[in-house]
Amino acid sequence: MTDPRTIWKTQPNEENAMSDLAALRARAARFEARVRLRNVALYAYSAFSILVSLWLVARGAFPAMRWPMLLMVGAHLFVLWQINRRINARRLPAEIAARPALDFHRGELERQAEGLSRAWLWYMVPFLIPFAWELGIMASRIHSGEAPPEAPRLLVIFIVVAVCFWTAVLLAFSRAALKAQLQIARLDALKAE
Amino acid sequence: MTQDEQYLQAMAEFGTALGRLARAYEPDADLRHDLLQDVSLALWRSFAGFAGQCSLRTWVYRVAHNTAISARVRRRKGRLVSLDELAGIAAPDDPEGAAGRAHVLERLHRLIRRLAPPDDQVMLLYLEDQDAAEIAEITGLSAGAVATRIHRVKQLLTRRFQQESET
Repeated sequence: MTDPRTIWKTQPNEENAMSDLAALRARAARFEARVRLRNVALYAYSAFSILVSLWLVARGAFPAMRWPMLLMVGAHLFVLWQINRRINARRLPAEIAARPALDFHRGELERQAEGLSRAWLWYMVPFLIPFAWELGIMASRIHSGEAPPEAPRLLVIFIVVAVCFWTAVLLAFSRAALKAQLQIARLDALKAE
Repeated sequence: MTQDEQYLQAMAEFGTALGRLARAYEPDADLRHDLLQDVSLALWRSFAGFAGQCSLRTWVYRVAHNTAISARVRRRKGRLVSLDELAGIAAPDDPEGAAGRAHVLERLHRLIRRLAPPDDQVMLLYLEDQDAAEIAEITGLSAGAVATRIHRVKQLLTRRFQQESET
């Protein structure tokens, strides 16, 4: 039987259109466009939320909630800046060959693990502070008898939904961070061999 | 040399090897085409920072493997195993026998796809005739770890292919 290495090296080739520089530049342009589109979608969502909040504040729709709503706008801007910073921190293409595969893979996992393990700080806390403030205002209005009769029930629903949602988010982030850490430990063991 | 010239030279020398790498990692034709395009694009961009830090061959293989790792981690299906674990797994029943180049090739692809990094890379680079020092430079494993893995790869290939052809 022929050596598997010989069979491997003499396998039929598939045509690679990327040997052509024009095709390569077209692919690069499509890649850049896709990144721009993804960023535009992210900014559009945040811009929508910010504009709605500002519009409500300007109209004086919920006067008691004015400051927590403005803080929520600040939270959106902060999280947006964090996401943008983390996207931009990704390795420059030229650096992809500067490190061996093991180190490159570890670096990618480390970046992922760092972002995920601190997500409670940069993603959750900015939204939770104004949200808790809003709940506090609702509770004090209920306590002083200024709120409508259905307010206590609504407050309980808000709290239950928020606790379930943010716990699920925290668990998802923690699980992903743990998986990345385990993979890093595995790569470290390989490196130490 | 300009970035474009370096890229064209690399493609002329290693284009077929990159095709083999894409084929090894990706059974689906469309995804394979995407992977090959991603590798080619990463390679072209990487030449903006290439100043002879290592040989062209090492540079090309590093870019290719690093790009493939990212794609593999994103699209991973099922559990990947080490060379040790794979050696302990019985070869699937093969009613058609081990003969036939296409058949051997398909089985090699399946073996590589089951392996976790960096064992898959060592096997792939061994099949590409890279020596232990080059494999260590590309993967980042120590020379000793590479030697151990090459030994296991050889054993695995012998067990899976040579013995069957003898019987």
